[in-house]
Amino acid sequence: MSTSTAANSPVFSVEGLWKVFGPKADHIPADPELAALGTAELRTRTGCTAAVRDVSFDVRKGEVFVVMGLSGSGKSTLVRCLTRLIEPTAGSIAIDGEDVRAMDRSRLRELRRHRAAMVFQHFGLLPHRTVLDNVAYGLEIQGIGKAERRRRAAEVVTKVGLEGMEQRRPAQLSGGQRQRVGLARALAVDPQVLLFDEPFSALDPLIRRDMQEEVVRLHHEEGRTMVFITHDLNEALKLGDRIALMRDGRIVQLGTPEEIVGSPADDYVREFVRDVPRADVMTVRTAMRPGDCGGAEHPGALAADAVVAEAIKVVSRSGRPACVVENGRCLGVVDQARLLDVVAGAELAGIGKEAV
Amino acid sequence: MATVTASVPRLALPGILRHRAAHKLLLLALAAAVLVPLADAHWSSGSWPGALTVDLSGPLGRANDWIIDNRDSSPLFLYFFGYISNAVVLSVRAVYLVLLAAGWAGVTAFGALVAWRVAGVRLAVGTGVAFLVCGLLGMWVPTMQTLALMVVAVLTSVVVGLLLGLAGGLSERTDRALRPVLDTMQVLPAFAYLLPVVLVFGIGVPAAVLATVVYAAPPMARLTALGLRNADPEVLEAVESLGATGRQRLLTARLPLARKQLLLGLNQTIMMALSMAVIASVIGAGGLGDRVYQALASVDVGAALAAGIPIVLLAVVLDRVTAAAGEQTDEPTASDPRRWLYALGATVAVAVAVRLAGALDWPSGWTLDIAEPVNRVVDWMTAHLYSGVPYLGGTADWAGHFTTWVLDPVRDGLQWLPWWSVLLIVAALAWVIGTWRTALTAVLAMAAIGVLGVWKPSLDTLSQVLAAVAVTLVLGFATGIAAARSDRFERALRPVLDVCQTMPQFVYLIPVVALFGVGRAPAVAAAVVYALPAVVRITTQGLRQVDPAALESARSLGATGAQQLRQIQLPLARPALLLAVNQGVVLVLAVVIIGGLVGGGALGYDAVFGLAQGDLATGLVAGAAIVCLGLMLDRVTQPTERRTRKGA
Repeated sequence: MSTSTAANSPVFSVEGLWKVFGPKADHIPADPELAALGTAELRTRTGCTAAVRDVSFDVRKGEVFVVMGLSGSGKSTLVRCLTRLIEPTAGSIAIDGEDVRAMDRSRLRELRRHRAAMVFQHFGLLPHRTVLDNVAYGLEIQGIGKAERRRRAAEVVTKVGLEGMEQRRPAQLSGGQRQRVGLARALAVDPQVLLFDEPFSALDPLIRRDMQEEVVRLHHEEGRTMVFITHDLNEALKLGDRIALMRDGRIVQLGTPEEIVGSPADDYVREFVRDVPRADVMTVRTAMRPGDCGGAEHPGALAADAVVAEAIKVVSRSGRPACVVENGRCLGVVDQARLLDVVAGAELAGIGKEAV
Repeated sequence: MATVTASVPRLALPGILRHRAAHKLLLLALAAAVLVPLADAHWSSGSWPGALTVDLSGPLGRANDWIIDNRDSSPLFLYFFGYISNAVVLSVRAVYLVLLAAGWAGVTAFGALVAWRVAGVRLAVGTGVAFLVCGLLGMWVPTMQTLALMVVAVLTSVVVGLLLGLAGGLSERTDRALRPVLDTMQVLPAFAYLLPVVLVFGIGVPAAVLATVVYAAPPMARLTALGLRNADPEVLEAVESLGATGRQRLLTARLPLARKQLLLGLNQTIMMALSMAVIASVIGAGGLGDRVYQALASVDVGAALAAGIPIVLLAVVLDRVTAAAGEQTDEPTASDPRRWLYALGATVAVAVAVRLAGALDWPSGWTLDIAEPVNRVVDWMTAHLYSGVPYLGGTADWAGHFTTWVLDPVRDGLQWLPWWSVLLIVAALAWVIGTWRTALTAVLAMAAIGVLGVWKPSLDTLSQVLAAVAVTLVLGFATGIAAARSDRFERALRPVLDVCQTMPQFVYLIPVVALFGVGRAPAVAAAVVYALPAVVRITTQGLRQVDPAALESARSLGATGAQQLRQIQLPLARPALLLAVNQGVVLVLAVVIIGGLVGGGALGYDAVFGLAQGDLATGLVAGAAIVCLGLMLDRVTQPTERRTRKGA
């Protein structure tokens, strides 16, 4: 996980973003009384629906930023606001410091063509085109010649593992293959950021796992910044460097998977993460008792980013506490009691600092 | 609402009446209780009061005279209609000459090759055979005349329809303005379009082509708009997310995505153009329709059939070939222009070869005269089947009985009803089935008929429509239910329905005249035969589309077949059944009007008479009444949802 890039400047910087659907929508964010109303009350009072309410976050360069929430929580609207596929009502969005909301049409088109590409839930492929021409479509829009765009598309098709299927049509592909085409189409334009809108929720569980691994692999290889929308907590925990958990248009908690699972911000989040196997998410850095073990040989010698499940294996095999080591230095010790605390769900001190 | 419905005793409500319906009827009854005595006191009951009519024949006659007088001098005609008229005449003439220059062999080869490229070998053979049969029946030249008119009319319709459809598909506001107009145009009988164009252009080819365009363009416009609107929103969003401009979005996504609807629109436009091109023989279209028209006028069934068969063949071939083009999902053949060039080259080669062989025109020795044998058969039928068949009675007897026992009482009953009660019935039916808007339109349309001063003939037409609709629905629902319950029956029925649904309205008159002679009963019979396929098809589809889970749960509770039908299928298929009624009414009206050509009388006759005698005032009033009647009947039976014409 790329926590080391955290210091870099943000790719997307979102501040106080609102999206309200309905008549006279722009009055609502400005009016503090209306802005404080709940969803149902707002609808009866004004006939408007606030899909995104006062959302702020930064997407750092090279990270996978997951926005997660149940259906109707406003996450899909939020991601569409980033490239103004849906026009935001209030707030500011900046990409690399450039104000997205102030862009004119051609500048916006340039943003969509080169800087941010999106992968859709139901793929959004053109049924009358072959796989290759679908992948090349974004390049065609940019006005790149046929031979050149086909050559580049063929490369990306290979990268996502669809070689040999270039001349098929979307209808002849399975769901997973179609989404690979969708992914390839987004990759073909070599965007700075990839936006995923619940890309795998229409797929079967096994295919979904394959595709998640594909995304992990791609991210590992290219280090591209990704914004990933999902309603699946496991997917969020698996892919996300950081997760923003949304409810009724607001972000209720923003943090690393460990922070979300380890110290939920409120009961809603707690309920959400209740069934997560904590040992697979929490790291020994959180579980350890800080302090040097005193010895030189560091029994166990776990890396600080190792998850608790690994530590349990080591500790139970050796039958004694294990050291947590980073850069050859001992950070602390985990013993059976600490590990059991994590598994049992006790909230440990010292985590969740970043929680909103 | 609760208090009002509570005052209606529950026991008095039959099961089919919902509370809402009772509510509406009660409100209507209240309104009637106030208004009827007023109306009665002012204008008395009985037929439509003379005080409320406006005689339009004077102004219309003067308008007609003015147009005739000024056709050669007014700038409007010289610089606008004149150019249109000339352009139409020239282009039809040009196409006709090209068709003649290609010769029978060239046209047949070209048709077969196009069909082969688009739809495969079987249809290619079918197309070739169809053209040869046209020649064999001695109808080559009329067929080419009709075809020339069709080519010009269809091309124009497609261009006009595409432009309107694009406007409607891309702009919400245009769509809202356009849709009710197109919807209404689709329910009007073809005959209603003839008179206004004749008023402007006079009888002749330009009027025929323009009437055809006006009649045939709406489906193209509707389906284009529909196709553009129904494009998968996520695909469009994906296209936009890649930064496509508006033009790129239209050309690379929206139009290709709408391909299926565009080709369906082309198919429907061609079919409607053929239908109209045949009917337009009444206003000088010439060609096959004219032969049928002339033959029917002298009750020469043999000659009518000789011209009718090519019409049917043309219809079936055009329909199948364009439908096959629409079903082709993969690579459009246009992407390989070389094969088209081969096809064109082969056509030219065949045409030149036949020309050099000196057989450009259809060889005169190759014709088969079917008129005479057919007429002999018809004579035999007249002698043996018309009446006096033991126990059965004979066809003419049936027609007579139908007229005496059904049509006359219904007509007399309608004409006996006080005018306000007719309006009330219309309002009640329309409101219960639809909304207050449809009810209002229906009542206004019916009132307009009275105002036009054609109350009585309109009620005569209405009586024929009602009788025909009743027969159609009984037969159609029964057949539809049977087809929905038996796969084998449906499979056997499907090709019959397919052919029936492609035949132009006019053609139905031929067998009917052969069987029943002329009169009102034959017109009704033709209407029933024409409307039946659509009703059967919609009923079957509606019943078959009933949620299988609901049926399964009923079966699991031990419901019998009849119980399933009555308690699950029919109630759930109610929208489809209402649609079937609506389509049945619209289609029946179209043919009952044309029935004026074979003695149906009433409005249809007035329109034909007006055309034939040059008395356009009478014709136009009848035409306006037809429009009103069509509107009224459609609105009365209009369920909240509607689908494209003929439910195909």
